[in-house]
Amino acid sequence: MAEKIFSKIPMATWRWLGVNNATAEEELLAVADTRSFKIPAGTDKEAVVVIRQEQYGKIQVKLGENSRLKLTYVQLADTDKDYAGEIEIQLSDGAQLEMAAVEAGGKKAVSKVLVNLAGNSSRADVSVLYLGDKQRVLDMNYVMVQSGKKCEAKLEVYGALLDKAEKIFRGTLDFKRGAKGAAGQEKEQVVVLSSQVRNRSVPLMLSGESEVDGHHAVSIGKIDEAKLYYLMSRGLEMAEAKKLVVEAAFAPVMSRITDTELQGELQHYIKERLSDA
Amino acid sequence: MEKKKTYVEDIERTLYDIRNEDRSSYKVEQGLTEQIIRDIAAKKHDPQWMLDFRLGSLQEYYRQSLPEWGPDLSELNMDQIVTYVQPDAKMAGRWEDVPEDIKDTFDRLGIPEAEQTSLAGVGAQYDSEVVYHSIQEDLVKQGVIYTDMETALREHEAIVREHFMQLVPPKDHKFAALHGAVWSGGSFVYVPEGVKVEIPLQSYFRLNAAGAGQFEHTLIILEKNSSLHFIEGCSAPKYNVTNLHAGCVELFVGEGARLRYSTIENWSRNMMNLNTKRAIVEKNGIIEWVSGSFGSHVSMLYPCSVLHGENARCEFTGVTFASKGQNLDTGASVIHAAPYTSANISTRTISKSGGQATYRSAVKVTEKAHHAKCSVNCESLMLDDISRSDTLPAMDIQGDEADIGHEATIGRISDEAVFYLMSRGISEDEAKAMIVRGFVEPIAKELPLEYAVEMNNLVNIELEGAMG
Amino acid sequence: MSTNLLAIKNLHAIVAGSNAQENNSQQEVKEILHGIDLNIGQGEVHVILGPNGSGKSTLMNVIMGHPSYEVTEGSIELEGEDIKELPVYQRSRKGIFLSFQNPEEIPGITVENLLRTAKQAVTGKPVKLMKFRKELENTMTELQIDKSYGQRYVNVGFSGGEKKRNEILQLLMLQPKLALLDETDSGLDVDAVQIVSQGIQKFHNENNACLIITHNTRILEQLQVDKVHVLLQGKIVAEGGQELIDKINSQGFGFLQNEQE
Repeated sequence: MAEKIFSKIPMATWRWLGVNNATAEEELLAVADTRSFKIPAGTDKEAVVVIRQEQYGKIQVKLGENSRLKLTYVQLADTDKDYAGEIEIQLSDGAQLEMAAVEAGGKKAVSKVLVNLAGNSSRADVSVLYLGDKQRVLDMNYVMVQSGKKCEAKLEVYGALLDKAEKIFRGTLDFKRGAKGAAGQEKEQVVVLSSQVRNRSVPLMLSGESEVDGHHAVSIGKIDEAKLYYLMSRGLEMAEAKKLVVEAAFAPVMSRITDTELQGELQHYIKERLSDA
Repeated sequence: MEKKKTYVEDIERTLYDIRNEDRSSYKVEQGLTEQIIRDIAAKKHDPQWMLDFRLGSLQEYYRQSLPEWGPDLSELNMDQIVTYVQPDAKMAGRWEDVPEDIKDTFDRLGIPEAEQTSLAGVGAQYDSEVVYHSIQEDLVKQGVIYTDMETALREHEAIVREHFMQLVPPKDHKFAALHGAVWSGGSFVYVPEGVKVEIPLQSYFRLNAAGAGQFEHTLIILEKNSSLHFIEGCSAPKYNVTNLHAGCVELFVGEGARLRYSTIENWSRNMMNLNTKRAIVEKNGIIEWVSGSFGSHVSMLYPCSVLHGENARCEFTGVTFASKGQNLDTGASVIHAAPYTSANISTRTISKSGGQATYRSAVKVTEKAHHAKCSVNCESLMLDDISRSDTLPAMDIQGDEADIGHEATIGRISDEAVFYLMSRGISEDEAKAMIVRGFVEPIAKELPLEYAVEMNNLVNIELEGAMG
Repeated sequence: MSTNLLAIKNLHAIVAGSNAQENNSQQEVKEILHGIDLNIGQGEVHVILGPNGSGKSTLMNVIMGHPSYEVTEGSIELEGEDIKELPVYQRSRKGIFLSFQNPEEIPGITVENLLRTAKQAVTGKPVKLMKFRKELENTMTELQIDKSYGQRYVNVGFSGGEKKRNEILQLLMLQPKLALLDETDSGLDVDAVQIVSQGIQKFHNENNACLIITHNTRILEQLQVDKVHVLLQGKIVAEGGQELIDKINSQGFGFLQNEQE
């Protein structure tokens, strides 16, 4: 079957790294389930999107002036099928986005997320959790475009990789000229639980404006042994302790999922996936 | 002061706007033919294997296309590549034989003086050929070889053949292939087992001819437990046509050996600097790169360290200063290919007056490299809002025993810091210059004193009258 | 009465740009200082007290010339010359020194380098390296600062006490006519308080003057305070001698607020 470029990194680099493009099967990208909505100016909304059956989901949101959206996006697509997800969010002046994204399903899951901070003093606070196991492939491309004056972007990513999982996370802070006073922060923390994992991280920071404050950090490491030891000294088995440490790592994203039923389901789902490892 | 100023004059944009859109391989072939390669080889009395190598590289050059990433290279007229290639200077053996005007140039650059005061050996290349090489007697007695590549090819053919373009094979990219085909000049250093060269060796590269190219090859081999500090300096006068530099540096760091490779590059702003540098480090060996990129119109430079033996280490310290008319795409890459290897990358980039600075890096940890450790820190400073600063690091990590940290910041000079210094009586311009110098200080302190001074001067010249 | 060093008359200051045209018209002009009068004579020590947000630090920054504030009315004279239009560094060269409440961290510039550059700028004469080093070492010894300190980057990784020590070291090295000491932070540790107190004592003589913001009486213990000013909502609401400090320390600012209403 033919592969098609699904998303591109905003600035290309060496080809041998294999991170410039994310591809997906053409057939998969033929028809999208599109949800698009507008948040009226000055309103305060909450939205929960859970992906279970879709193969290609598309979400488009426009946030009106001074509106607020709390978006929970949970991708639990069939782990035997490929999945492609696309999210595009545009923020007007003073708009605020708080987003929790969970990327856990799919056999090969590609996702592209574009948060466009076009409005002055707009704010986006995005937390991402990803979980890769078995021989699954996670290929993500998150872009925060910062063009509004004094706009603020925060992108925090917490991941765990098991078995023979393969993952690419591209996270971009793109400061456009004129975005005076903009601030951006990106952070990715990965816990690797297997020696057969392949983990690629590409944090980009692009700037055409000097009056900005940008920062990104990535840390990739194995599980904290001191923590494991501590837990095991309290009577936990190695496997249990590991599970707990990974769950703890996910806590910042999980705590944002206010729908308790969904949170419970997700916790159960993650536990199960970790137990299978 | 006056002569340094010539380096910072900006070239007229209009001259760069003359482009040649058509670059089919047929035309390229017209520009660079097998006959030209054979001529070069004959002139240099290449052994047969080298001629074959050149011809093989030429085929590779035809095959490869220009990179699809990084700065726009369309200003480089590939049809005219032959003018970049044809050597235009004559070889001379001893310093006395070096033509007066060339000798003058190096005098002004302070090369002979540096040789007398602080260097163990000096090499000087003018355009395509090395015009001067010297080395201290006692090092020769210890078996240290420091000579130009042509001489090395004659006198140490076996060693050269074993290493030449093994680390940077011509198939790597188009300019590596071009280099393999037309290389000329450069330095060869061999340090035998256990020999520690305490004082630095230095090669100075000067490109003088307008519209020419420099394709020098530097090959350094450090045997077990030896050590060396090698300094490379580059400059060229300003011309209104594009010059091309596609050098190649190959460094072989043996078991327990330690090599420091320092570069201050100040090519004039008509230079396309497409240089390839690579080091392979064996068990317990250390490669230390200190890299200052100030000049050139376009640069693509990412020294690569292959940590091949257990516990091998890489330290990379770099500063890039992109000003008007400059697109400097620099960085580093590290391949962890053995257990317990470690790397530290620390860079500072500055952009101003419309300059573009890109930090690009790759950290690769292979499956074999358990307990690899790498930490990357890059900081970017933008001095105005007509410039660009991009950071593009990539990490490709296999296995669960790696410890990888990456951190980057981007921003401008803090108003509060300027106020603090001004409240101590320091003028605004000087306060800003101090902050910029402080910003590059971590790199300056790694350089030999005279280069640190040179770098501060470069920063000062760049900042003169530009701020406030 | 001694010769007047600093004379502030009817000083009004706003947040810079807050009255500018391009700014949102709904936004009010943020005036922080509403007409301050203050005279400091040579050889004097003045103390400013006031609750948080009363404009104490702003006043010091306005005297020093911080670009974040704009003087809209009144004058600031140093030895009879109006300095309110001068840029910061020229005020410094005329003899004003500000010891910052939170000194900036400046990576890559060593303490010694900063002091040498500043000394040269302030005195307008080339500084002789050996002589300067000796003077620096002597001053460091006086302040019980280790010599290695000179090679550290300005305030980078310094503890609160070390930052204070660095400010006082600069004060002693630069020998200004008027020292502004912003010790707003009541959370200074014992060590820092000691340093500031000793530093001022070493510095102060009949030819210079100090203006100190502090609540900490220990800083003032060894000093003869000539005058105390109480700042409330950008105005000086009370003036007096040492006794005013004691009163405020025991009663707070409440009695003054009541008087205001």
